[in-house]
Amino acid sequence: HHIRMISEGSCDTEDWSYDLGNPQLRIFRPTFNLTLVRPGKEQPPDTVQFRIPLEMTKFDVRNYLEKIYSVPVAAVRTRIQYCTNKKRNHLNQRVKRPDYKVAYVQLAQQQTFQFPDIFPEKDQKHEEGSVEEMQEKFMEDERQRQKSDPRRGGVTEWFGL
Amino acid sequence: MSAAVASRLTAVCRQFQRVLTVSSHTQTQYATRAFSTFHSCQQSRMYDSWCFRSPMNNRAVHTSCVRKGLEEFFDLPENWGEQTVKSGAPWTAKQLRVKSNEDLHKLWYVFLKEKNMLLTLEQEAKRQRLPMPSPERLKKVERSMKRLDTVVEEREDSLRLLQTGQERGRPGEWRRNVFGKTFWYRFREHPIPWYLNSRYKRRRFFEPSHVAPYTRLSLEKYLRSKIRKEKREKRNQKSLAAMFPKKTALASDH
Repeated sequence: HHIRMISEGSCDTEDWSYDLGNPQLRIFRPTFNLTLVRPGKEQPPDTVQFRIPLEMTKFDVRNYLEKIYSVPVAAVRTRIQYCTNKKRNHLNQRVKRPDYKVAYVQLAQQQTFQFPDIFPEKDQKHEEGSVEEMQEKFMEDERQRQKSDPRRGGVTEWFGL
Repeated sequence: MSAAVASRLTAVCRQFQRVLTVSSHTQTQYATRAFSTFHSCQQSRMYDSWCFRSPMNNRAVHTSCVRKGLEEFFDLPENWGEQTVKSGAPWTAKQLRVKSNEDLHKLWYVFLKEKNMLLTLEQEAKRQRLPMPSPERLKKVERSMKRLDTVVEEREDSLRLLQTGQERGRPGEWRRNVFGKTFWYRFREHPIPWYLNSRYKRRRFFEPSHVAPYTRLSLEKYLRSKIRKEKREKRNQKSLAAMFPKKTALASDH
């Protein structure tokens, strides 16, 4: 039983070839990482967009989400995004931006997903006497100094007097 | 018993704490579940038997199963918008060697989910042009995963050596390629023998006669560079010793 837990090195860089009659190929400790991304274009409410490694297939994505995250998957569509090799560094050598694969996953059972706002504005209370508080005070003072005279009622300094 | 168990758990993964927050959610703003009975809560499964010391979070203890799949791609909602998120030290190989195979297997998936969450966070931060809170967490997870791999490989190696006497899992041998370089050739599985494989026969695992002089030259180059490196080292040490002689060091001590 213990031996089943250990695999022959779970490196996904092996050439997984299958011949008729061989046991089902399995990966025990997958090294694939999925990144949930906010869609650039408007997507239907049941579609979730992922960036996946180039070597992953639609079947892999489906199994990954169903087994590890228990997310019901209805359909998966993938495409490969080719990134530029045109940019040059300070030595005039071409620098390649790595390619990536995008997967559009449609959830089953009429579930919907909306990408949440992960960086909401939060007002922070700095502790007394800390550096951040002094900086905040300084910035506040600067902003106050830059503001025009409120008694002028929004009229610009260009008009004399 | 549960109290004792809870006290044994010094820190717990986000996964477990999530449950308590999840159970109070009747309706989240971003994931709706038409049928709430999709996941059956496996309460009987034992998360308390794991003496689990997580590097990830130092929070209160909760035990329950995790529902809501896509939520796990994001951090706990109270961490959203924070500048820094606290996290513990990465797992060391020494700590991992104590764990059983099942625990390591489960821990691998904990690391995997954490890494996915951090990658999602990083990408969203890049999108919003904001700094990612505590990017060192990614390095910690990567190192922990590497160490887990090392431990599992050690166990595999030792088991294989004991049972079969083979040093490597995948057979291979030293071969010389066309350029005269010796390399470790790893065997692949084929359905036909090599003498019927036309593509394999086109690969030449010997160096042609006109390449032989270059092997000697590259060997000489390699030896020369090695000797030069050693000489440079010695020269450095000598100059340092001239700058900081031992007599003055000893004299300053007393």
